[in-house]
Amino acid sequence: MPDILQTNRLTKTIDGRDLVKNVNIHVKKGEIYGFLGPNGAGKTTVMKMITNLWKPTAGEVLLFGKRLTHSSYEELKRMGIMIEFPSFYEHMSGTDNLQLHCEYMGYYTPGSVENALEMLGLSDAAKKPVKSYSLGMKQRLGIARSILCKPELLVLDEPTNGLDPAGIKQIRELFRMLCTEYGITIMISSHMLSEVESIADTIGVIHQGTMRKEISMRDISERNTAYIELAVGDSGKAAYILADQLGLEHFKVLDGRQIRIYEAGIDTNEIARALAVQGAEIRAIGAKAENLEDYFLKLTEGGARP
Amino acid sequence: MIKLIKLEWKKNNIGKYVIGAFILAACLCLFLFALAFLGIAEDPDGTLDAAEGMNLISAPVEMFTSIAFLIFTCVMLSSFIVSAYKNKTMNLMFSYPIKRQKILASQMIAVWLFSFIALTAAKLLVYGCIFIGSRNMRSPFIIDFQMGSLSFYIQLLMKSAVLVSMSFIALFVGIALKSSKATVVASFLLIFLTQANVGDFSLADHALFPVILTIASVVFAALSVFHAETKDLL
Repeated sequence: MPDILQTNRLTKTIDGRDLVKNVNIHVKKGEIYGFLGPNGAGKTTVMKMITNLWKPTAGEVLLFGKRLTHSSYEELKRMGIMIEFPSFYEHMSGTDNLQLHCEYMGYYTPGSVENALEMLGLSDAAKKPVKSYSLGMKQRLGIARSILCKPELLVLDEPTNGLDPAGIKQIRELFRMLCTEYGITIMISSHMLSEVESIADTIGVIHQGTMRKEISMRDISERNTAYIELAVGDSGKAAYILADQLGLEHFKVLDGRQIRIYEAGIDTNEIARALAVQGAEIRAIGAKAENLEDYFLKLTEGGARP
Repeated sequence: MIKLIKLEWKKNNIGKYVIGAFILAACLCLFLFALAFLGIAEDPDGTLDAAEGMNLISAPVEMFTSIAFLIFTCVMLSSFIVSAYKNKTMNLMFSYPIKRQKILASQMIAVWLFSFIALTAAKLLVYGCIFIGSRNMRSPFIIDFQMGSLSFYIQLLMKSAVLVSMSFIALFVGIALKSSKATVVASFLLIFLTQANVGDFSLADHALFPVILTIASVVFAALSVFHAETKDLL
């Protein structure tokens, strides 16, 4: 699939300091791209350059296969953007703000405003002025605005800031839906891994202004060994059963009660049955993959030390 | 472009400014009428307490309306443009598929048009009231304008246009410093520059001065707009 968004050696220097340096990003059409990095890593800087608010010092941004210049207005029309905290005309109502957005974007489809408000659960507050909105509601309205004109590419900077857990879940489902049903490509930045982990197809990790890794989630789960964690009453006995009955070799006894099995192609059921038959006590059993968090920490740790 | 200007008005709650302009015009009218006919500018002996050359009624009318509306325009510009930079709605505006120069120009024209109309209307109101008053009442000032003549109206329009354009100088300062206060302070400095007099010397009398000011205004307006396309929006 072609890359809908690509950056080549993107660099931004302000006052002699490199905010980001040689960043290469490849976002494929129709995927959700998680753009990860700790605070101050340069996520917003990159996104500002992608959305043409900032101009790169060096390197280039390719949007829909075309190089982004200061007069790339057609490309902007095909994008939905939310950078940093969304700003509104505070004295106007939510509906009016969205309608204004449609006017400026040149997008006139009846019912789209109501539809967007509905999707974000803001229908009740639609007529109230934005200054009476809570932080989370403003964030929702910002997302509503960015998806309002049915963009092909959504660029969202920390979209779930200020939302409660239920709201985060809802937004996450919304993104999934937009991606699968409307085929919208979504780029989300976040400093919270758990947020991106469950929805992203590809992640890019940026740290201290440089791209550390760009990898698809499928590759991560293949590369990072999954294991089965077993909590038992007596690890010695259990270990004996695992080795003797099931013929397992790759497992590790962590302490008196915990065992980790790294063997590929073994099922938890099989282990449980074998242990039960031999009368060993099982307290808990579960399959685990090394999650993104561990991987992410591995990527950013190296650079954190001078 | 017309649509952009209309949207600017709508967005910035133009109704508020309409009311503001009305109140301002009414106050000016009341004050200048009182000045002309109710004797607040007179010495106790009944003669006019005004310098030579200032005993024409058009002098205080021009001065007070100019001061009031220059500040009014600058306040408007600062809330239309400078505070848009400050509260980041400019970030939003610049992410639209519209040329940035066009956006800025539409905002400036939106303010310019409104202020120009408001100032012209206010001046007409004041002159009209004084004209009607002069038929029945005696004024210590010399009534030196003729509502019937065409040149009166042409002058009035030209003066309004120059004055409203002058506010772009203040806007430039405001954008450069990213401060609404700076815009308004700059407008006060402009008033001192244009309306004050030292002895009997005043820049306002100079024929060349309006021309220089207008050119300066246009240059500053262009400067405000010019760099928007390639500059980072911080």
